[in-house]
Amino acid sequence: MVSDGETIAKGEWYPPHSSGAVPARLLSRGGRLFAVNEEKLALSDGTVRQVSFTPRVGSIPRRAVFADGSVFESMDNDAIDAFLRSGGRSGWVHRLEEFHPRIFVFAIAVVLLAIGIYRYALPVLVKVAVFVTPPVVSEMMSYGALNTLDTTVLSSSSVAEVRQAEITDRFRQVAANAEGGAGRYTLNFRDGGMIGPNAFALPDGNIVITDQLLELARDDNEMIAAVLAHELGHVEYKHSLRQLYRAAGVAGLVMLIAGDIGSGVEDILTQGGGLLALSYSRGAEAEADRRSVELMRKAGMDPVAIARFFDVLEARLGDHSRTSMLSTHPGTPERKEAILEYNKTLQPD
Amino acid sequence: MDNKVSAGSAANAFERARFTGTASEYFGIWIVNVLLTIVTFGIYSAWAKVRRNRYFYGNTVLLGRTFEYHATGKQIFIGRLIVFAFLVVVNILSAIHPLFSLVTTILILIALPWLIMRGIRFNARVTSYRNVRFDFRGTAGGAFVSVFLGSLVAFLSLGLLAPFASRWLNRYVFNNLRYGNRPFHVDPKVGTLYGALVIPALMVVLGAVVLFGLVAIAAGGLQAYDAMGVRSDLRDVMMVFGVYTIFFGVFIVYGLAGLIYRAAVHNIVWSSMRVDGRHLLRSDLSRARYAWIAISNVVVTLLTLGLMRPWAAVRLARYMAERTAIRIEGEVGEVFTDFQVTGAAVASEYMSMEGFDFGF
Repeated sequence: MVSDGETIAKGEWYPPHSSGAVPARLLSRGGRLFAVNEEKLALSDGTVRQVSFTPRVGSIPRRAVFADGSVFESMDNDAIDAFLRSGGRSGWVHRLEEFHPRIFVFAIAVVLLAIGIYRYALPVLVKVAVFVTPPVVSEMMSYGALNTLDTTVLSSSSVAEVRQAEITDRFRQVAANAEGGAGRYTLNFRDGGMIGPNAFALPDGNIVITDQLLELARDDNEMIAAVLAHELGHVEYKHSLRQLYRAAGVAGLVMLIAGDIGSGVEDILTQGGGLLALSYSRGAEAEADRRSVELMRKAGMDPVAIARFFDVLEARLGDHSRTSMLSTHPGTPERKEAILEYNKTLQPD
Repeated sequence: MDNKVSAGSAANAFERARFTGTASEYFGIWIVNVLLTIVTFGIYSAWAKVRRNRYFYGNTVLLGRTFEYHATGKQIFIGRLIVFAFLVVVNILSAIHPLFSLVTTILILIALPWLIMRGIRFNARVTSYRNVRFDFRGTAGGAFVSVFLGSLVAFLSLGLLAPFASRWLNRYVFNNLRYGNRPFHVDPKVGTLYGALVIPALMVVLGAVVLFGLVAIAAGGLQAYDAMGVRSDLRDVMMVFGVYTIFFGVFIVYGLAGLIYRAAVHNIVWSSMRVDGRHLLRSDLSRARYAWIAISNVVVTLLTLGLMRPWAAVRLARYMAERTAIRIEGEVGEVFTDFQVTGAAVASEYMSMEGFDFGF
């Protein structure tokens, strides 16, 4: 009989690994804990240290597990907390979680931290990742990408070989001053098909230009060289690799922080992460534009020839748009202005 | 603790489960989880998972008793650490030589059924109800057939054979599940499962017709423009726009059809479930209501930058619990836990990471 103990809480008692519950009370007496039934017979006992209490989460039932595996379970979280606090044991995590004005401070802190990570920590992580990525990775990526494009949308070029040779010649001159020299870069002519007038750079130094873009340029080969110099800039700065890591980083952050966001939201956020990662390419485009100016200047061609390309784009596509959140490219008028500005700063006066 | 739903409290009445968690209470838990996860550089996420699961299990009330989640933060953390180290090694190896990535991919594919089996087993064994743990007796071979081949068949048939995949998967999961030493049994019939596929299939067909119609109208419009000699760049813009419309359209139609199908299959499987050969379960989700909750949850969560996520999670958990009922046949008697060790969390953590498919 355990009669003169102090009742901590009422609840149920389970034998070890069994569902056979009986109504019980948890008592403390002289540094020992007892689970007793309604007849005040001890079902389990142990010193306070031998009994482990599950940490409090919200108001779910609390379990006190005795050394033999028997369990006292109670809904009376507050009573058990009061007992544990008097013994110097307390659940600080639960106290943080309680509904209290400070919860709003936490919410604000989380939002600020998330923005901070996105703005400051992520770029650093991306830099480190790009730095440690061996060249073979980008070679494999590029090889696969070009193969896929060739089998799906691209087909062989129908531009006259004379013109191809002329452009390749200009390309070599521009690339001579790029990182790694002209030998590191290869120019490919393709019929763009669905993707139309376009030029793009693969991270391994392969640059593709479509017939449609050459057509758009009429016979302004210098302007083509400026566009190619812009693409060289993308390769030098490893923009595609950066963008990839950035997208992966955003996805990782979403997964880590949100944890249980649920499958639907998870998918959308990953996609959204990719979309956000694209906004990075606005900075990348500006960087590549400036590189075009530098390379063209070094090759002895018109440094701002790429501005002519923007004029063509503007005339043809009617692109007077200012930069928007969703665009991968900054509005062309803005870009043109920035280039002319930049060229002025390079002018030896 | 009386929560009978049927008229009168006759024996052998179906009794609904309840969910007692609240959005405001869970908000505190969730925001502290996120905050501590950030300030510990992600380490706390393992403990956060435990608190989250304990909250949801511990608030799910069946016949007046709750469930309990027993995994420890340390277990989850070690599991995640091993998976993370493994992924890092795999990525380094494949960076060194492409052949390594082929080898590791094949190795993972071979190990996948085993990982699936161990993942389910871990999650079953860390779950208890009335102080008795669940267990899972499925084999890796079973996982290969039911999960692997099943999803392959469903995918290759564009969803037409999905009912077979649903049947195999649910039979594998539930017919190998034990509550203590008591077995579970489900037998979702293929015919009934095809009944669940009717509405989603009609939705996909209708969606395809509408999308195709839009494309046709757009194409017709483009030709008309061409005939009038309008600048062809407008065409480019419209084509890009059209491609995006089709992409999102397909995404939405398949997503919605998937939700409807999932709700129907859930009802069929759970309503065919017996515990210990006699206690019947029943699920009566409304397909429309389930889809509405799932979609509005996503929208609200996104619009509030995630801050309403706790509300959304509690809302769905409450609906799922309230639509599940059990009928006890005779005396349940005393049930005992039927195994010794829980095992490691590696497989379950690997699978939960793979659910989110990206390489570091």
